[in-house]
Amino acid sequence: MQVIPSLDLLHGRVVRLTHGDFASARTYGEPDEVLAALQVPPGSRLHVVDLEGSRSGRPVETEIVRRLARRDLVVQVGGGIRSVDDARRWLDCGVERLVVGTVAANDPELLATLVSTFGAERIVPAVDVRDGTVRVDGWERDADASLQEVFARIELLGIPEALVTDIGSDGVLRGPSFALYRHLRSATRVSLIASGGVSSSADLVSLARLGNVSACVIGRALLERRVDLAEAGARLAVSQAIPERVIPCLDVRDGRVVKGVSFQGIRDAGDPVECAVRYEEEGADELVLLDISATDRATTTTLETVRRVADSIFIPLTVGGGVRSREDFRSLLRAGADRVAINTAALRRPELIRECAQEFGVQAVVLSCDARGGFATVRGGKEVTGVDAVQWCLRAEELGAGEILLTSVDRDGTGLGFDIELLRAVTGVVKIGVIASGGAGRREHFRDAIECGGARAVLAASLFHDRLLSVGEVKQFLAAEGIPVR
Amino acid sequence: MKVTLIDSPVANIASIARALRAAGAELLITADPDEIASSRKLVLPGVGSFAAAMHWLTEWRIDAAMRAALLGDAFLLGICVGHQLLFDRSSEMGWRAGLQLVPGDVRSLEGTLPVPQIGWNRVHGTGPLFDGVPSATPFYFVNSYAAREVTAESATADYNGPFTAAVQRGRTFGVQFHPEKSSAAGLRVLRNFVACR
Repeated sequence: MQVIPSLDLLHGRVVRLTHGDFASARTYGEPDEVLAALQVPPGSRLHVVDLEGSRSGRPVETEIVRRLARRDLVVQVGGGIRSVDDARRWLDCGVERLVVGTVAANDPELLATLVSTFGAERIVPAVDVRDGTVRVDGWERDADASLQEVFARIELLGIPEALVTDIGSDGVLRGPSFALYRHLRSATRVSLIASGGVSSSADLVSLARLGNVSACVIGRALLERRVDLAEAGARLAVSQAIPERVIPCLDVRDGRVVKGVSFQGIRDAGDPVECAVRYEEEGADELVLLDISATDRATTTTLETVRRVADSIFIPLTVGGGVRSREDFRSLLRAGADRVAINTAALRRPELIRECAQEFGVQAVVLSCDARGGFATVRGGKEVTGVDAVQWCLRAEELGAGEILLTSVDRDGTGLGFDIELLRAVTGVVKIGVIASGGAGRREHFRDAIECGGARAVLAASLFHDRLLSVGEVKQFLAAEGIPVR
Repeated sequence: MKVTLIDSPVANIASIARALRAAGAELLITADPDEIASSRKLVLPGVGSFAAAMHWLTEWRIDAAMRAALLGDAFLLGICVGHQLLFDRSSEMGWRAGLQLVPGDVRSLEGTLPVPQIGWNRVHGTGPLFDGVPSATPFYFVNSYAAREVTAESATADYNGPFTAAVQRGRTFGVQFHPEKSSAAGLRVLRNFVACR
């Protein structure tokens, strides 16, 4: 999948409008400066929007576009192309492709003329969608044709690629419209250029995995440095090689697996070793064992349980709950844990993260963040701190945590789905992996946590214990949705 | 099949011992140079940093004992840092010489993606260790350093560019991943090593 940086031009400068309001334009500088600052590699595609052109209905920024097209860039331009003459003026500037919006949706004859005059591969129809309906004229009104009709038209003309923007998600950083692109995957053979909602390189990876998205236009996220082109390239390069993980969680108390809703109302769910062995057989990529009694009263049975579980599996084991010191950390590693999750003690004394990372290695340190209402909690979700969960995760990364186990206490045990907003807030700012936890109820929830939430692993406890879903079923579903699994 | 697992004062070798046993090995765990020298099949586990491991190997005369075993046609499998020790040298904490059993350098895995690499990654392997292991099977990695594009490469993976996931030179093998944490695929690799003859 190609990443296409997008520049909105107004009066010769790169700007960004809020809600299409020209008075609100924020200026980022000359296009050349912006391209250099964004480190756009040579040979890239570049998406240019002529804002004044789209307002006035005729090409305006032709001189700048001519200059950009002379560089080693494949330029596509949009904004106010309403006739064959407009199109020709842009092509005379050295533009490779023309992005046509209103025309594609409302003027099939002109669209056909543009295709027959300049070739199908040089025309990129832009389709703006809100709630499944195509919108035109600066999103002001519904198009005459339905989404289905517009795409049938595009396909019939032999146009290979169309730019699709979900207006509902554009610019608000709530994530790309994966559902819309997935819907279009079965509805049309046309490849999609996704636009809108991208706020992290994880979003780009998820778009690439859909299969029918050949490119993605990003503007705001690049300008605000939420996405770095080099990092995005590196993530995309391994997007199929590195499988996403499904992790069953064993909540253990006094040597038994237990389960509860929102950390309350506990009941027995079996022997940890039996569960662990079954989970590995089902294809679990890792196990998390959380001692939920330990924060209240430390138990030596925990170490014995860890030893027994570690001795029965051949996948990595992460253990958490009641880790107060480096000594506790060391004991758990000696008992067979590969990684140790710390929460309460780290919140009370953040330096513990750095000390453990130095002594045991970054890979061994997992920050467990139990978030409730956006704040980190301690003592198994019972006590809310004044610490912002997202800021805390960022801090933990700086201190040397290797991964974050992010649990939504609000969602835990509800089966309503992972807290996607919380996940996006964290995965959008940290580079280390995030394990999504709390709220899994259906297979789709696991997909959404990875695809939209940007999680690198998904965790569930009661769902797997109760055999409502097996680890294998979840992985099969993820694979069918284009998410690589082991 | 008898296998000698070289005991380490630093590393937790319990899981690799358990995995080797599960793979059919009749295990001798020792750091005794004489026992190592007379072994037919050796496993060198990962032990902390490259420099600390080399120091330990020479200090305890395990280095010489391993060479003696190899001269007697023993098989050797290095795992993780044990795999890195097989090469000429490593850039970890300044260039340090390795065992020089396999030509090549070990370098930082640093790049755009964060290091250490923690987790599963697809491995494209060939040769006896990967018998019955389909290409692109994921294995579990934890590493900040790796060899890249070495001549003895028998498996590759990709993290900040392609790197050497396994090597083979004669009877000397090395795997950068943790077979003991790689579930069935890892046990298969160990079983293949245990069965080597």
